[in-house]
Amino acid sequence: MLKYSIRRLLGMIPMLILISIVVFSLAKLMPGDSLSGEIDPLNTNPEYIEEMREKLGYNDPLPVQYFNWITGFMQGDFGKSTKYKTPVAEVIMEKIPNTLFLGIMALVITYILAFLMGMYSGRKPYTIGDNAIAGINYIMLAIPSFVAAVFAIYFFAFQLNWFPFGGSVDIVVEEGTPEYWLSRLHHVLLPAIVLGAMSTASYTQFLRNDIIENSRKDYVRTARAKGTAISKIYNVHILRNSIIPLVTFLGFDFAALIGGAIITETIFTYPGIGQLFLDSVSSRDYPTLMALTMLLSFLTLAGNLLADLLYGIVDPRIRLD
Amino acid sequence: MATTSTLTQQKKPERSLSPWQIARKKFLKNKLAMISSVFIILVTLLSLAAPFLAPYLSSIPDVSKVNISSMNITPNSEHWLGTDKSGRDVLTRLLYGGRISLLVGFSATVLVISIGTLVGSIAGFFGGVVDSVLMRFTDFVLNFPFLVFVIVLNTILMGIVDGLWVLIIVIGLLSWGGVARLVRSKVLAEKENEYIMAALSIGCSPFKVIVKHLLPNVMSTIIVQATLIFASMIVVESALSYLGFGVPQSTPSWGNMLSSANEPDVLQGKQWIWMPPALVIIFTILSINFIGEGLKDALNPKSLR
Repeated sequence: MLKYSIRRLLGMIPMLILISIVVFSLAKLMPGDSLSGEIDPLNTNPEYIEEMREKLGYNDPLPVQYFNWITGFMQGDFGKSTKYKTPVAEVIMEKIPNTLFLGIMALVITYILAFLMGMYSGRKPYTIGDNAIAGINYIMLAIPSFVAAVFAIYFFAFQLNWFPFGGSVDIVVEEGTPEYWLSRLHHVLLPAIVLGAMSTASYTQFLRNDIIENSRKDYVRTARAKGTAISKIYNVHILRNSIIPLVTFLGFDFAALIGGAIITETIFTYPGIGQLFLDSVSSRDYPTLMALTMLLSFLTLAGNLLADLLYGIVDPRIRLD
Repeated sequence: MATTSTLTQQKKPERSLSPWQIARKKFLKNKLAMISSVFIILVTLLSLAAPFLAPYLSSIPDVSKVNISSMNITPNSEHWLGTDKSGRDVLTRLLYGGRISLLVGFSATVLVISIGTLVGSIAGFFGGVVDSVLMRFTDFVLNFPFLVFVIVLNTILMGIVDGLWVLIIVIGLLSWGGVARLVRSKVLAEKENEYIMAALSIGCSPFKVIVKHLLPNVMSTIIVQATLIFASMIVVESALSYLGFGVPQSTPSWGNMLSSANEPDVLQGKQWIWMPPALVIIFTILSINFIGEGLKDALNPKSLR
């Protein structure tokens, strides 16, 4: 396993270098100073720009510039945000906890929904309940998340007043108090449900099929013959075996959550990485944009790697090739 | 007497149905897929006919100009779906929006399927170095966070090329990876058959073998995949337009129309503005998915239905 992991990790390096080159080229194609954000975009004096360009090394050959940028990047120097006038790293760090909170809540919701529905369907396959769950799942899978988000805000925030329609916390509550955390939870719930519902369908159907398959195996028959309660067979014996392959979905969910977070955070005006990303595009804050692009690419890559490694743990045969 | 009866039997030989005929029969029997097809055809025809229908549908057929005298009218006999906050008829915009959304979805699908099939079939057929180089490149494309790069590329290219085609090219170039992998795996399995060796041994060029022998045999997979991609491309277009990074705001598209729901007063009080595009998107996506499932069933010779 260790050998396999090391090989996969090493295989990631050329991918990272290639992606960083692409991001660097994109940054160079953008107008203005998109990497460091040191040149004031409002100062149009050609002498000032020329002086700054020379100082920042923008007249160096491109490979030298790339090398300087990537070494700085690896040391955590992401340049300076043109909008906030502070280092990009600080701007991003400020938003990360919110996105992390949303992502974890979304995952929790996915797991809860998928387990409830999947276990029911797996236990009573081909019944009305199972068909209804399959139908709901199909519709959840087909409805785009942004349309679902709009409907969710309309029904749950405006019509029923159950949830706030935006933001991450009430302004009036004091930070650190229990009310503060309750308010945060209240704010994150609706976007997390929308984001979590997105991947619930695949989890549910996988769990259902796996439970059905497992229920025909010999160990289940043995357990039945011994007189073990049916509920115990399903909830302990079968579930334990069906959860393991489900773990591999986590890695793929990572990439899906990144894309989903951009859309969901923007619709719910939830101040996280996704919203910061779109905000930096519309306010032409290119240093932030490029740093985030690099960061999100890295996370997607890490998610795919995680999926591969988890596969390797769950199914040892995969390691051989 | 016996001879005449055998003669009549020979006159009418039992012709078995071709695979495509079987598939068509199965598809026609699938109710959900048939209803969905009718819906999609209807939406497509209405959208295509938008310029001809517009003058009959409302007194303000122009969908791009702001019209102060007719702002926020609730649905009535003149404006069936009311007008939006710029005084434009919602139904007319919905039809024009369908043109754009379906055009973007269709063109992007054609692009994705073409690139994916090209890369996948070449990699699968030739194998070896060609295969590993092409597949590493595919991995590379698949590793990009899709939405992030579409938005960044769109920002850079916007203004250089006409907005609509930027979007089509960008989403097309970033989403062919899955198709390439799928086609490659199918081609890998298919090329082991004897008829490919026969074709090669009589001197067919690789190009001819791929186009004439391999592709027709993986066509059913490609068709099903194309349907599902068509649905996801419409989602991508409308999601990007909704966020303001897709089709230029002045052009009506379903996503652009839905983006008016960003304003709380429209979302809360003026449902006729945002609900029609939202519902049309949902039903279109569902229908296309049902058609895709129906095709998958129909084209699979092992399915019993």
